[in-house]
Amino acid sequence: QQRVSGRVVSQSDKQGLPGVNVVVKGTQTGTSTDANGQFSLTVNEGAVLQFSMIGMQTQEVPVGTQTTINVELADDAQALEEVVVVGYGTQRRRDLTGAIAQLKGEEIQRYPVQTPTQALQSKLSGVQVIASGRPNEQPQIRVRGVGSALAGVSPLYVVDGVLTDDIRNISNNDILSIEVLKDASAAIYGVRAANGVVIVTTKRGKSGTTQVQYDANFGLRQPANLVRMANRDQYISYLTDAAPNQNVNNPPLTYEGTTDWYGEALRNGFQSNNNVSVSGGGERNTFFFSAGYFTDQGVVKTNDFQRLTIRANNEIQIGPKVTFSNQLSFSRGNERGVDLGIYQNLYRAAPIVQARVGDRFGNTSAFGNVGNALLSLDARNQRIINDRVQGNLALEYRPAEWLTLRSAFNTDLIFNRDRTYNRAFRNDAVTFISAGGNQQQINSSLALNEGRSLRYIIDNTATVNRTFGRSNFTFLLGSVTERFNSSFISGSRINIPNDPNQWYLGLGDPNLQLSNNAGGDLQTRQSFVTRATFSLADKYLFNASLRADGSSKFSERWGYFPTIGAGWVISEEAFMQDQSLLDFLKFRASWGILGNDVIASNAYLLTAAVNIPYFFNNTLSLGSAIQDIKDQQLKWERTEQFDVGLEFTLLNNRLSGELDYYNKTTRNALAFQIIPAIFGDPDNQYLTNIASFRNRGLELVLNWRETMTNGFGYSLGGNMTINRNQLVGLNGGQALLAGGVGQQGFVTRTDNGQPVGSFYVLNAIGVFQSQSEIDGAPVFGNRASVRPGDLRYEDVNGDGTITADDRIYTGSYQPKLYYGINLGLNYLGFDLTADVYGNAGNKVYNGKRAFRFENTDNIEAAYADARWTATRPSTTDPRVITSATPASTYFVESGSFVRLNNLTLGYTLPATLMQKARFRTARIYLTAQNLFTIQQFSGFSPELPGGPLDAGIELNSYPTVRTFAVGLNVGF
Amino acid sequence: CDDFLNAPPQGQIGVAAVSNDPAAAQNLVTGVYNIMWEGGMHGFDYVGMTNIASDDADKGSTAADGANTYGTFDNLTMSPGVGNINNVWSTYFRAIARANQALALIPSSPAEQTVRNQLEGEVRFLRAYFYFNLVRFFGGVPLLVGVPPVEEINNPALQARASREQVYTQIISDLRFAVTNLPIKGQTATGRATKAAAMAMLAKVHLYQKNWQQVYNLTDSIIKNQAGAYSLLPNYANIWREVGANSTESIFEVQTGTNLACNAAIPIYVVSQGPRAGGKRGWADLGFGFGTPSESLLNAYEPNDQRRAASIIFINPPPMGTTLWDGYRIPSRDSVENDRYNYKAYHSRIAERNCGVNDRLPKNLRIMRLGEVLLMHAEAAVALGRNAEALADINALRSRAGLTALSAIDRERVWRERRIELALEHDRFFDLIRQEDVQPGRAVQAFAEHGKTFVKGKHEVFPIPQNQIQLSGGALTQNPGY
Repeated sequence: QQRVSGRVVSQSDKQGLPGVNVVVKGTQTGTSTDANGQFSLTVNEGAVLQFSMIGMQTQEVPVGTQTTINVELADDAQALEEVVVVGYGTQRRRDLTGAIAQLKGEEIQRYPVQTPTQALQSKLSGVQVIASGRPNEQPQIRVRGVGSALAGVSPLYVVDGVLTDDIRNISNNDILSIEVLKDASAAIYGVRAANGVVIVTTKRGKSGTTQVQYDANFGLRQPANLVRMANRDQYISYLTDAAPNQNVNNPPLTYEGTTDWYGEALRNGFQSNNNVSVSGGGERNTFFFSAGYFTDQGVVKTNDFQRLTIRANNEIQIGPKVTFSNQLSFSRGNERGVDLGIYQNLYRAAPIVQARVGDRFGNTSAFGNVGNALLSLDARNQRIINDRVQGNLALEYRPAEWLTLRSAFNTDLIFNRDRTYNRAFRNDAVTFISAGGNQQQINSSLALNEGRSLRYIIDNTATVNRTFGRSNFTFLLGSVTERFNSSFISGSRINIPNDPNQWYLGLGDPNLQLSNNAGGDLQTRQSFVTRATFSLADKYLFNASLRADGSSKFSERWGYFPTIGAGWVISEEAFMQDQSLLDFLKFRASWGILGNDVIASNAYLLTAAVNIPYFFNNTLSLGSAIQDIKDQQLKWERTEQFDVGLEFTLLNNRLSGELDYYNKTTRNALAFQIIPAIFGDPDNQYLTNIASFRNRGLELVLNWRETMTNGFGYSLGGNMTINRNQLVGLNGGQALLAGGVGQQGFVTRTDNGQPVGSFYVLNAIGVFQSQSEIDGAPVFGNRASVRPGDLRYEDVNGDGTITADDRIYTGSYQPKLYYGINLGLNYLGFDLTADVYGNAGNKVYNGKRAFRFENTDNIEAAYADARWTATRPSTTDPRVITSATPASTYFVESGSFVRLNNLTLGYTLPATLMQKARFRTARIYLTAQNLFTIQQFSGFSPELPGGPLDAGIELNSYPTVRTFAVGLNVGF
Repeated sequence: CDDFLNAPPQGQIGVAAVSNDPAAAQNLVTGVYNIMWEGGMHGFDYVGMTNIASDDADKGSTAADGANTYGTFDNLTMSPGVGNINNVWSTYFRAIARANQALALIPSSPAEQTVRNQLEGEVRFLRAYFYFNLVRFFGGVPLLVGVPPVEEINNPALQARASREQVYTQIISDLRFAVTNLPIKGQTATGRATKAAAMAMLAKVHLYQKNWQQVYNLTDSIIKNQAGAYSLLPNYANIWREVGANSTESIFEVQTGTNLACNAAIPIYVVSQGPRAGGKRGWADLGFGFGTPSESLLNAYEPNDQRRAASIIFINPPPMGTTLWDGYRIPSRDSVENDRYNYKAYHSRIAERNCGVNDRLPKNLRIMRLGEVLLMHAEAAVALGRNAEALADINALRSRAGLTALSAIDRERVWRERRIELALEHDRFFDLIRQEDVQPGRAVQAFAEHGKTFVKGKHEVFPIPQNQIQLSGGALTQNPGY
């Protein structure tokens, strides 16, 4: 027997860990560490000590002849062998057979952005993130392309077991890691996995000293890129061609200057983010409490947003084998919304009308132009409150070391309230500098909408995990029960006093105008999951899972979603041992079936249209009618995905990389099929599963990381994704038209053989220079009205005239390539990071330019200079753009861009200094988000969120913003 | 767990709800009535394919306005691609689908058997009316009397046309059920189908089948008030005014009214036929000026027939304007587009109820009235050799019109009376085709007098809409000549 003593510290901060269980393996003999992490124990010769603690990786140390054993325990999630969350469990990264991307919490927290999704941009291959600068906007994520037209295209989010479609309630500082299941690995989430799954895991406490962390940043947001509009002279010159009858010498107010409408409506907005967390734990529990407050004013006047987040994540060991845990959060979002329509009006407003003088507004509408956007902003008060309680309670029982039984109750409760008040104003001299025009609101109005939704999910899983030497086997069996219920009630009234304390429906005039509505939704799902993974000698990997999903949304309730994957760690093979170039090399392949059920709850059920009026006895009687033809066999969309990948690290782990090829085919995709009128369907079409899509692509990730002996460290990483999207079969469905741009109608068409949401417009091939060119040339519309300086279009079908039949496909909003470049440097406490994001090969439609309400709408300065005039003929830009100008390639522009997404310079105070100040860590930093963009697009931003059929059209988009912020991370 | 997965639609009436709620079946029936407000059923399209197509009315409006649509109805040059025809086709089949959905669910209603029978009777009456119009517009059409399962949507058997006889057999069966199960007027709410409405409609169907005895029997019962009390309204002009809505003469009419949404009417029925500004203009006109009474109709009136001024708005030459019954003054001809307009389609914006939306003026459309029952009775009586009874019918109408009584009667006199009495009431086109069947050459001659060419074997029906033929994959066949 011998006496062994030592100290156990945490690997990350080298602090002593109290309460670590130190047990002689295979016996009941043991002790635990004291407050400083010290332990002392008498053991037999040949004993093996096992060090274990919640939240840390268990370590085993053979005693041998040692009398002092010092141990560093690694965090569970920061283990040498990185662990990846895969849904209902975790796996070692090296054992994965599928394409799963991971981003750590510390990466996310660096950015002065509201949601973690924004931080994902540029970081992960196969994950496209599209964001605008609007406060509280939910950025769009597209994982490996767009695989649907009429069902959902956004990934499923899973936050600590809660399945949701919105993670704006999560503070970035609470996140431990984000995993994106890109390939058929997602099949563990079955019928909702076709668009990929984003798994968010929040932080937990670690046993040991209590840690307080304060993170904050404060910054200024400014519009990143504005389009310069015509000045007074340019505008007046344009009007003589576009609206010759307009008397520009007598506008509502004779104003000699140029109004910069964007300058009048935009501002620099303040943003801030404050987060405090307290975490720690004792022998039998860990805790993590946090509170955060995020504000974002936005760059449009009157817009603002605040978010409060509170979180409590606890883990309590009830008995030696039983653990209770909870991860609970509350969030409140409070937003003053703006009507994006005003943004379009800023673009159109005549620069010769003054914006505002004192309390009175310039009367743009009296000039035959759009309404004054400043007045629209001023007259409207929208307040959106969103309260959300989300989290889980879980009980874990480990009857044996190899068996874990877990039951979790996950819930998501959302209350939201949207109240919009529009004050009354007249087109008189009280409101306007000069009376007249059609911009007025005779009655004030109040609209209110309150809703609530409750989702609960009960997971029951059993996990077997057995290790035999270097081989490992896990088996999961579980059931998931889910119920979602929502309801809303809304109403509107007019003639309500302009006093926020009176903004209640009861104060409105009940006789003049009222609307009341209410509705709800109910969805249930019952699922069974099973998964087996097997790794043999760390060389041969195998993974198979099956999820059976029963859903209330379909008459055929049950769907089955299998996946299988295999991997081969080539670097473990004997023949690889003689080389020193490669440290790790793995080949993997996966295949599986995924579903998409983002379809209205009762889309397959015949329901009656209600409140259909008729009169009996001269009295109103409300009837109903069953009229829509429904596909009663409506199914989920079914995506089959195949993926092969290669993972490698070489040159002493300095260079790592990943290469993937994927092929995703979606069948049973929703499309409308036209049916004969005899079936009585009101729009003579019905929704059914007939279309097919394909997304094929390549992903490449390369990371170089090196720390020099002098302490200088640097990393350079890059990732790129090439995706090709195609609608491969409509199978009798009709091509989908979308993307309405005012008088031009639909500008996108989704048809066989084309990418989803392709722009389908006339081909503008130049400008008519003379009447003789026009004579005999095919023209659009009435020949008599075509003049030199007008756009000339290609007569594609050669019928001698330009009609809608001459439209061509000119690309889609989907990039052919998107990429990120991430650079990191650190030296002597300084750290510098830079993230570059870009995409290429996509097209955008300059909708705001194409959409002319009136010929008096303003024009861009660049166009004013470039447009065709008799004395300055242009071969590219027409004389005028009016309400008669059809959709054409003239408005289609390249959407390629490269942007410096983030640049951060930080300084961490030296450890010696901090110990004096009793700080654990202290870092200050300067950061700039969206510093500059190189783009070909002449508009505000080529990054244009939208639906699958109509994204990439710039109409009312919020200006993209640039943020400069200073930040602070302090821990003690 | 299958119970757990059963999540019924929230806030929506599903099919299953009908079996729990007695009102649900009732509501579905109301929904069938509602479709009679559709434009494709009784609106502008219907005006085009009835009045304008017949010799009662010309297209009207300006020469160019609607030349490619309504103009082709007027000239009998319509093609299968005319959108209005597709709209009418689609709307009538949508109505039939609503009726079939209601009929499929009424049996599962917890309401009493008699109530269920009445509801079924009402819906079958309406379905019969829809099919009657369809068969008169198009000849044999696909015959759907149930709700086809969605999987059957591409089944050519459903899309093929039934014969005209098969359609009539179904219509007669529906109407017989309605006659048996519907209550008489006064025992049901005004606006609902009654026993007399079903009998009159059945009589009219038999008229088209030349089943004179049935026509006689059915109309005779109505005239003898055996199916409710009906009498001629003393003032002919009042029939189409608000005061004449649901009058003692009314047997069935489309109910309208004013509601908050102001949509409780047939869209642009009134305004499409309203007087239109032209020439010097200078006034806010009353409509688009379509369906103007024809020269041929004008010539058919006997002198002093009060029905002439009641049916036609005559636009006076300058300097006189035209003052309508409600006091509204239309300027003289130099400010108006056309010479004449349909008075029966007029709805006063100042003296009759409305909610301010001119496109939805709540004018009840008279579908069946005692006047027409007398005409059917008279025609059947002549066919059966009961001339005295026919003479009494016709003289009742003539006396109301301020004309002298006839002393002798024949089919020709009944038909002449029929045209005048029912002028511009959407009956004439169908009736001419029917008369052609009784007395060949009749339609050709009438259209020739109207200045149009009627091609026998073609113009008896409208073309089947081209896109419906395409959608059917050829199962639906085109009418001869188109």
